Amino acid sequence: MFQIIRISLFIVLTLGLTQVQAQCTLSLSGHVNDAETKEHLSEAVIFIKELKLSQTTDKDGFFSFKGLCPGIYTLEVSHAGCITAEKHIHLKADLETDIDLSHAIQELSEVVVQGRSSGSTISSNELKGKALEATRGLSLAESIKKISGVSVLQTGSNNYKPVIHGLHSNRVLILNNGVRQEAQQWGNEHAPEIDPFIANRISVIKGASAIRYGGDAIAGVILVEPKLLRNDPGIGGEVSTSFFSNNRMGVVSAMFEGNSARRPAFSWRLQGTVKRGGYARTPNYWLSNSANEEYNFSVTAGWKKQDRGAELFYSQFNTKLGIFAGSHIGNVTDLWNAILAKDPPDYIKNVGFSYKIDRPYQEIQHQLLKLKSWKNTGDIGRLNLIVSGQYNNRMEYDQKRFASSSDVPQLDLTIGTGLAELVWDHFNTGDFRGTIGGSFMYQNNSYVRRLFIPNYESSNAGIFVIEKWTKNKLDLEAGLRFDRKSIYNTTDNGAVNVYADRFFNNLSGNIGFNYRFTTSLRLLFNASSAWRAPQVNELYADGLHHGAARIEKGNSGLSPERANNFAANLVFSNSKWEIDAGIYYKLIDGFIFLEPTFPPELTIRGAFPAFRYSQTNARLSGLDLSAAYQFDAHVAASVKASLLRAWDKQKEQWLIQMPSDRYEAAVEYNFGNARKVNETYLSISSTWVLEQTRVPSTGNIEVPGSSVKQSDYLNPPPAYFLLAFEAGTKLKMKHSNWSFILSVTNVTNKAYRDYMNSFRYFSDEMGRNISLRVRIPFDLKHKHKS
Amino acid sequence: MTMKHIKFFTVVMLGGLILAGCKKKNNEEENEEELITTVNVKLTASGGATQTFTWKDVDGPGGNAPQISNITLSPGISYACELEFLDESKTPAENITDEVEAEGTDHQVYYEVATAALTINGLNTDAGGLPLGITSNWIAATSSGGTVKITLKHKPGVKAAGDLVSKGETDVEVSFPVVIQ
Repeated sequence: MFQIIRISLFIVLTLGLTQVQAQCTLSLSGHVNDAETKEHLSEAVIFIKELKLSQTTDKDGFFSFKGLCPGIYTLEVSHAGCITAEKHIHLKADLETDIDLSHAIQELSEVVVQGRSSGSTISSNELKGKALEATRGLSLAESIKKISGVSVLQTGSNNYKPVIHGLHSNRVLILNNGVRQEAQQWGNEHAPEIDPFIANRISVIKGASAIRYGGDAIAGVILVEPKLLRNDPGIGGEVSTSFFSNNRMGVVSAMFEGNSARRPAFSWRLQGTVKRGGYARTPNYWLSNSANEEYNFSVTAGWKKQDRGAELFYSQFNTKLGIFAGSHIGNVTDLWNAILAKDPPDYIKNVGFSYKIDRPYQEIQHQLLKLKSWKNTGDIGRLNLIVSGQYNNRMEYDQKRFASSSDVPQLDLTIGTGLAELVWDHFNTGDFRGTIGGSFMYQNNSYVRRLFIPNYESSNAGIFVIEKWTKNKLDLEAGLRFDRKSIYNTTDNGAVNVYADRFFNNLSGNIGFNYRFTTSLRLLFNASSAWRAPQVNELYADGLHHGAARIEKGNSGLSPERANNFAANLVFSNSKWEIDAGIYYKLIDGFIFLEPTFPPELTIRGAFPAFRYSQTNARLSGLDLSAAYQFDAHVAASVKASLLRAWDKQKEQWLIQMPSDRYEAAVEYNFGNARKVNETYLSISSTWVLEQTRVPSTGNIEVPGSSVKQSDYLNPPPAYFLLAFEAGTKLKMKHSNWSFILSVTNVTNKAYRDYMNSFRYFSDEMGRNISLRVRIPFDLKHKHKS
Repeated sequence: MTMKHIKFFTVVMLGGLILAGCKKKNNEEENEEELITTVNVKLTASGGATQTFTWKDVDGPGGNAPQISNITLSPGISYACELEFLDESKTPAENITDEVEAEGTDHQVYYEVATAALTINGLNTDAGGLPLGITSNWIAATSSGGTVKITLKHKPGVKAAGDLVSKGETDVEVSFPVVIQ
């Protein structure tokens, strides 16, 4: 019988630039060679275990798979008289790779595939492997903030939203296991309801080019992708735990998966996460009432044959987030008192540590049910049908006015979403390949208690085509999409107000190229035009925003915003260097934003800052740079830079609330492998965030006791410099490798504030945080196999 | 062994789904949010009739602008003042003053006079002997004009002697024009 050699393959462990192509039209090809003679081997069998696809090499030893989705696959290569080789590949673009088969037993370690990669003309970055493991236990947005061009919008210490090139909320689309995450995106304190533990790969596509999932993602797309279901018989899984010193948070996540020998087509997976953290601590005081809890689980069942398959996925996310007591203010006078006092008052600062969550807090539930099925259409393509349902409930509990007041939430919003998508991928059609499809979405939103946005129903129908032409060193890609969005049934609101029904329809499109000068140097260019219809909150919001102590008013006269986006990336990658330099230039006509209105709105609780949605023409341009250099087998260094300039073309001033320039540098030392201890490393990294000096010069906010008006209550905080330390290793245990990562963030316990945290008015950021992550994989294989 | 495992996990899976489907509905009474829409300032000159001055915003924050009456006082006269907080968005209107008084140890009313020759003192106290301010004495001196700002603060568990108006969360902050003539 054949013996199996495991060839471990590491393709850039850090956040290297990769190609994520949303469509499943990738190809994997190459030759199978005799390791000694380098002769091409015909009649060798290549089997992709996850897909149960096999091919036999032709007389020149050549094989070619087409129509593959991006992902991590296991290849089993066998040939009469040779030892069967097993090879893990990370497919993110077209890959051409040669596989050498040996006649003798030998251990091959760390083979780097330098394949000819071609693929999307859109630049993207991803987080996987060790880099993803080092973020375990953090929220989705915190996990990806190390990617250049990505930052976070914070509300206190446990509420993070991803920001791409300065844009967020409805402009960032999150794909949770292939489904558009549809939740309540209004509000800066509405973090994405996703458990990052479901993913083994998180990718960020920057720019407006990913029209496959909707034209409205004018900032970019975040793909949260689970690994493929288990394909070989047995039961396996892993337990991951993380502990954090700062808020004494513990996270446990477990995953079990299996496949039965008797029914090899059927695979399943169960996954769950429990997370509980107490008050966070700044260098000088506890953040009272900043505790959090999270309980999530997901279930996946898959059935796969060579030419068809289906997958059922259900996930549930539950969280309860305390809101820092010092941020809860009654009116604009309270806000000024808090700002002028600089630090929280003593009676809030002097509390001790606790896990208790008091009012004000948020309680959110998100459920997703997805059914995906696919069938090959002959040899040329594949038809995919994805049907999904989502339920999102958000309850916001304000401070109670009296101890005797009822315990119900002040805000209770529910949104239900149904989504159906029919897509045909074609990949065996000459130099052309692509994806043609259509989608339909229905949404129903309802509120109980305080009105903030009205009840409504909404639908979105879209059709699209994306084609790619590949010849020699050039890939050309173009896509076109048409969407029609309706907002209706907005009258069912207790006759408080009459809201008009709205319909929007328009085209979005993109065109780009990817040119390979050499195997290590590529140039990517993409131009796209996308539009986003105003959301219900932008049109019709009316009322007090919880925690934010401000009145937000919609503007029913808004028209869709149109983004014209140009991006170019130069990518250089060889055994020493990994460089990605990208520039972008984005013009957004009718950019929708919240503008402070003057005077503040008078209520019985005093004056409240009032904001109204309005539109302007904006220009966002910037640079994302990441460069890594491998000095030798042990030492590597990397630098990153994210620069953004956001300009209001109508008012001729800077746009408010945009991330300031950020630089990062890191040095890593790898100890190499020993008999029992593998992949041991140490790294030190530093982050330097500059003061945001590009803020609007004039505004509508009145400074108390003077007639001066400024654009913000408080000027942006000064620049800060943070140090972080990380060390990791893998211990070889009897049955598996246990992985340990120890990290320290904010090593010097520096007190600082960040411009992108709305609680910068009230408190400092978290101080030093020491965390330990342990991951224990396990595998129960069948005794009679292997 | 594998079949056993599969059965076990199927049970767990179904259990999870059933739990999700039967998520406990919150059956607490559908109580509307406590809203203060109206502040009545009832002023009684010794031996005289009671005058009521009102600050009200019946539709709450947003919507229509509030209605504010002018407080007119006579020089050299002392008044007994009593405050009344109402929620007039409900029918019949709900009196919230009793709740403020019942939880007097968590609340405090502040009076701030600007420019007018008006002195306010004699605030009533809560159960702990700290100022509450639902009732007070107003002493109008000479002819003048200005404003009086009335602030109701909510300070659950942290109310202490000598608290400034900046402490705690604001439940009410209204400003009345005052004329002494």
